[in-house]
Amino acid sequence: MNIELTAQQKGLQQEVREYMKTVMTPELLEELKIPEFKEGGGPEFRKQYARMGADGWIGLSWSKELGGKELSHIEQYIFTDEVVRSGFAYPFLTTESTTPVIAANANAEVREEVVGGVKQGKVVIAIGYSEPNAGTDLASLTTKAVRDGDDWIINGQKMWTSLANYADYVWLAARTDPDATKKHKGLTMFLVPTNIEGFSLTPVHTLGVRTNATYYSDVRLPDKYRVGEVNAGWKLITGQLNIERLSLFTHGQVDSLYQGVCEWAAQTAAPKGGKLIEQPWVQHNLATVKSGLEVVKLICWKQVWAMDQGPLNMADASVAKVYSSEFFVELYRLLLEVMGQAGTIAADSPGAVLRGRIEFRWRVGAVLTFGGGANEVQRDIIAMAGLWMPRTR
Amino acid sequence: MNFTISEEQQSAQQLAQQILSDFTDVDKLKVIEQQQENFDTGLWQALAKAGLLGLDIAEDQGGIGLGFYSLTTLCEEVGRTVAPVPVVPVLVSAAGTLRRFASNTQQDQWLPGIASGTTLISAALEEYNNDDPTTPSCSAQKMEGGYSISGTKICVSQAPSAARILLSAQTDEGILVALVDPRAAGVTLNAQTVTTGETRHELVMAKVQVPAEDIVATGSEALAAMDWAHLATRTALAAMAVGLCDKMMRITGQYTSEREQFGRPIATFQAVSHRVADCYIDVECLRLVTQQAASLMNEGHPARDAVQIAKIWCGNVTHRVSQASQHCHGGTGVDRDYPLFRYCQWARQIELTSGSSAQLTGELGQTICAEYLSKAG
Repeated sequence: MNIELTAQQKGLQQEVREYMKTVMTPELLEELKIPEFKEGGGPEFRKQYARMGADGWIGLSWSKELGGKELSHIEQYIFTDEVVRSGFAYPFLTTESTTPVIAANANAEVREEVVGGVKQGKVVIAIGYSEPNAGTDLASLTTKAVRDGDDWIINGQKMWTSLANYADYVWLAARTDPDATKKHKGLTMFLVPTNIEGFSLTPVHTLGVRTNATYYSDVRLPDKYRVGEVNAGWKLITGQLNIERLSLFTHGQVDSLYQGVCEWAAQTAAPKGGKLIEQPWVQHNLATVKSGLEVVKLICWKQVWAMDQGPLNMADASVAKVYSSEFFVELYRLLLEVMGQAGTIAADSPGAVLRGRIEFRWRVGAVLTFGGGANEVQRDIIAMAGLWMPRTR
Repeated sequence: MNFTISEEQQSAQQLAQQILSDFTDVDKLKVIEQQQENFDTGLWQALAKAGLLGLDIAEDQGGIGLGFYSLTTLCEEVGRTVAPVPVVPVLVSAAGTLRRFASNTQQDQWLPGIASGTTLISAALEEYNNDDPTTPSCSAQKMEGGYSISGTKICVSQAPSAARILLSAQTDEGILVALVDPRAAGVTLNAQTVTTGETRHELVMAKVQVPAEDIVATGSEALAAMDWAHLATRTALAAMAVGLCDKMMRITGQYTSEREQFGRPIATFQAVSHRVADCYIDVECLRLVTQQAASLMNEGHPARDAVQIAKIWCGNVTHRVSQASQHCHGGTGVDRDYPLFRYCQWARQIELTSGSSAQLTGELGQTICAEYLSKAG
């Protein structure tokens, strides 16, 4: 039992932290103030993403065959944690979730086109799972793909297709067997280039970021863009969701907010003298945040350590999701309370604290408890897989 | 980074599990609870025989020297079985401190007896409204051949039967750590019944003369000793809480899976199963912070914040899991013929021992304040 990073792992952490400071250029910080580009996609973001590719930072976890470095899950987590900490809108779902699945299952030509592009920091992939009537019950999706010679004809609508407005492909789940006995057995995965005829989108402005509704109207897609076997898409989706959760709830992103508020409160005068951080109620909030943050760190470490040992325990993965999502929301509130009304001032207004990051994270964080697997479903899994309690329903 | 324990440590934990569950069926616990001290000496001897009292005692002093982490896994198993044995005060607070801070002569005098189960050394770390043994209000005056100690310690475990009680007192030149003989002139032991139902003692000392050979440490060494004892005790209590809460949650999962109302097991109501799932999340969080604290203590690395955080979680989780378990059981949970009540009593006892969550959150906040004020210059 030894719950500390090794000297080598600390070295990697430091190296990534230093490198990411050079990625977060003043131009990029300016660009991030524009609502349209808060989650990436602006020209400066594209430039820095490509630079990370050229400097060899993309795909570290991939096999050597694909040009990766086969980093262990622990090392990969250290990289992810530091990149998110820096505030760079790195497209983890592209690099860590979908690309390895595409590399393992796509045809050679598409693999070269997509995996090669991602490696160079030139390709971003959006996820096309959810539909207006298929959310938590994802397997009930109705977007249809019908075989027509060497092509597929795709019709349907996807919801919450984040990044689709600047992504190069949509990683699309479609129904290819409407008569399958079990609904999750009739699904197939496709890569849809966003410049293809019949593809369109409309923006959806949320409490937090801009996302999209995407439409597929008689899209004629060559069969080479099918990934994996026909009607065998479900396994590719669920495998990807587990990895998605790992990059959603990292320690660094919230630890940096906590540190930022501590530093701010130590410099800011309290109304009746002394610094704000000397107020007992401020100390109480900061200590509550720190106690909770420690668990976020340990949950992440234990998960990646466990992944290096073998498959992830189902109940543990759900514990991580529920705890982290609910704690993040609590943390935003506890830190915003310390700042009071100043915490509500937006990034591009005078007087904004910490570039308005925490208010923004709170907005984005509203989706955490239901996104990536609703917490009620996760609690059902914990009761069944962790405690052998009978299935609800 | 490694979240598993060594094979040796694993077999020690499994052995402890075996012995403790053999000795803790409900009928045995009831018999022991009729006795004054609520201490199962037969179980203590069985643990001694298996070498488990010497997990953190060096081999040349009769122990097996597996270290502090291994000792916390014994505490976890004691929590899981609510076994009536004083592992925390005797093995952690007293023996652990002696092993690290006492003279060779003192170690030779006491540790082999503790490991073999023939001698009990207890510890009295708390005073009224003061859980911190580095700032005692008990006082000590230097005198010919030793010190004279006066003052009061509370809720002392095994006070009448202990050969010595390890405690701290304030002198004109910092604190000292002493081994006080509870039979010495000037010592009064007043029985105190606590939440667990056991009898502990208020230890009142009026000019108790402690010979030089029973002084463990003075000055900065005494401060370091009491600092270690404080952190180690908190860590061990958190470990005990891991076993305690894990078991309460599993009893509750099982009970709600079997108990039927409205024609189906109540666990199939999400309002019930989700409350138990929340306990599972809480227990996993407590386990992680406790493992981190115990691992840092084991390595001798800085552990103050980690221990504080573990004890904060310990207080919150014991409260929440205990309350949820009682609630999901309905009337069965409070019945003294059903095992749950013991767990709930111990949960409250541990929560309020060695600093509550509210207090430690306040202290952690002050630490954070000092850290960032000094950074801000």
